[in-house]
Amino acid sequence: MKFGKRLQQQIEETLPGWRDKFLSYKRLKKLVNLISSSPPPSHRHCVEAEADFVYLLNHEIDKFNAFFMEKEEDFIIKRKELQQRLQRVIDTWGPNGARPSETNCKEDMAEIRKDIVNFHGEMVLLVNYSNINYTGLAKILKKYDKRTGGLLRLLFIQKVLKQPFFTTEVVSKLIKECESTIAQVFPVDEKEIGRREPTIRVTGEGVFRNTVAALLTMQEIRSGSSTRSQFSLPPLDLSDSEFIRTLQMNSPPIPIPIL
Amino acid sequence: MEARPLSIQRSSARQLNNLGVSGPMSSSLPVLPTPLEDTFSKLPNSQQVYMEQELRTRPLAPAPHIPANSGVVGHIFSSSSGLSSDLQYSSASPHEKLPRTTSFISQSSTPIPQTSHSGLPQSSTSSHYTKESSSSWCPESLPGYVDFAANTPVQNSQMEGSSCSGAIVSEEFSKRNDWHEWADQLITDDDPLGSSWNEILADTSMTEMEPKVPKTPTSMPAHRTQVHQQLPASSTEIRTVVTPSASANNAPAKPRMRWTPELHEAFVEAVNQLGGSERATPKGVLKLMKVEGLTIYHVKSHLQKYRTARYRPDSSEGSSEKRLTPLEEISSLDLKTGIEITEALRLQMEVQKRLHEQLEIQRNLQLRIEEQGKYLQMMFEKQKSGIDMLKGSSSNQENSSTSLAKSELEGTQVDHDKKGSDTANANSTNEESSQPKELDGKQKAPETEAPENAELNVSELSSQPSKRPRTEE
Repeated sequence: MKFGKRLQQQIEETLPGWRDKFLSYKRLKKLVNLISSSPPPSHRHCVEAEADFVYLLNHEIDKFNAFFMEKEEDFIIKRKELQQRLQRVIDTWGPNGARPSETNCKEDMAEIRKDIVNFHGEMVLLVNYSNINYTGLAKILKKYDKRTGGLLRLLFIQKVLKQPFFTTEVVSKLIKECESTIAQVFPVDEKEIGRREPTIRVTGEGVFRNTVAALLTMQEIRSGSSTRSQFSLPPLDLSDSEFIRTLQMNSPPIPIPIL
Repeated sequence: MEARPLSIQRSSARQLNNLGVSGPMSSSLPVLPTPLEDTFSKLPNSQQVYMEQELRTRPLAPAPHIPANSGVVGHIFSSSSGLSSDLQYSSASPHEKLPRTTSFISQSSTPIPQTSHSGLPQSSTSSHYTKESSSSWCPESLPGYVDFAANTPVQNSQMEGSSCSGAIVSEEFSKRNDWHEWADQLITDDDPLGSSWNEILADTSMTEMEPKVPKTPTSMPAHRTQVHQQLPASSTEIRTVVTPSASANNAPAKPRMRWTPELHEAFVEAVNQLGGSERATPKGVLKLMKVEGLTIYHVKSHLQKYRTARYRPDSSEGSSEKRLTPLEEISSLDLKTGIEITEALRLQMEVQKRLHEQLEIQRNLQLRIEEQGKYLQMMFEKQKSGIDMLKGSSSNQENSSTSLAKSELEGTQVDHDKKGSDTANANSTNEESSQPKELDGKQKAPETEAPENAELNVSELSSQPSKRPRTEE
């Protein structure tokens, strides 16, 4: 249930519109339990439960794909729009622009910067979404194989790897592009490097909160477990980045009903 | 010249075209005959042939001649309902599962050459990313931030690299061109597309929609027409390839469109040619785009999104996320100044970047794990079937070799995990270098000297100091 809890945490921390798009891990687990608990004599139930399981898996994958591709599309559009905004501000208020105005430029640039950073964050969250769902699928399949002695996992995982929601290359590329843009759009500031407050509280329901939560959750998910095998990932070590340790999550928003 | 074709991907199809996983495996895995999935067996071959053609033509293109429409790529997916029927079939009888699974896996791992969107080849991808980071949307007018002249040779040298990374680069290149094309115009005056720098000020959307501008202006017109002609042709190829399996699969014909940046570029250009997002109609845009397989339904929904994004910039992604306060520093008593906000954003960026890095690493690890598992499973089964054939020999021999094979599986798997994480870490920042050393002590790796996987194991064993207890089987 450990992953289930982590997943639930992640869902609660995530952006509001995304909450019902995650893996229905609990439901799948119930099915696996059902399958493994009904012994061969009641063969019909077993087969039915198996069929349900596979059907649900496919349904989940469809759900991921649909959501992922829609978000991807949104990102592609938004990226373009941000580019245009940036160009517009530079052309209008910039030093070589039509109506050079430093204050206006600065204001607009600050606004754009914020938007670009949030945009970046949202894209990263989508990749995180993809990953956590994949992890969940892998786990539930492993559980299935273990309980039923089946060989569904290898087979299914190969399909999953090719699914749109897992092939996140385009989004990753956009993210990297975004990072380099930000590096150029942000003013270079020497002073800020020394200034790190002891603890930084993360508030609000926004993108930043969610990325922090995602990072911490990832670390927890990958800490050792009793069922470690050759298919397990090594633990995640974030201890070298102090500032992440100092991040402290405020109380979570109102919990939503569990799927 | 070549063009990026419209590639179709089905979520239920076990074969894939662009988004290939089987990069490193393509040479190692044989394709076993599959009596069951005859309907699908045609698909990977024909797609494979197409992809091979594609890849063959690609490296022939000289670096500066980037095809104008270098990536009008879209992906169409249908639901995976066909998946369930097949899976149910294969999961029905546990005993018979094994041979079917084997054949199925081998089928799905039909060597399919990688094309642009594959992120798998570790070395090329990661080195790619570090180079790609130099590309961004920022125009030159941002004082002193970036030197675009420096970027260009980087891009060009990338292009001369492998065909796979070259494909990605050309995509990137076309994106950069949005912002650099006005710089190009400063150099060359004859722009047959008729947009000038003044138009940038007037209608910002107009001139940026020209990813088709290659660096060599003289070849530009020729390229455009060539590519436009090529594009429908190549798209049609893909289209006809996919449809037989669609009907064979009994999948409901409601393909989901996967938009790509290149496709969006073409879309935006079409919209602008029609006078802007308000005046453009889906039908007109569809006609102008000339992309095979794109339906008016796709265009309509995309246009709707586009309009929303343009006129209500912060509400296309959802409501509350935008109005966020990135963070509040405890000891800060000042009002939020510009510098503070910038710092807050910087911190946010750092966290986000970190998360992304970790996700990439994790993903690569996961891919490798699955690859390895698949490969070894096949090896194991091959060996097992070989053993079954030699049933006449002593049973002792059989037992020892199967157990040996099993420990091979585990040993190499774990070693590969470690190696995978090492490689991944080597490519990411130094911060993650501590990661591989933290492997759980419980994870035992029986080290074996099995002959089959000698080349696989030995190199890994020798290259890493193993911190795990060694057990002999």
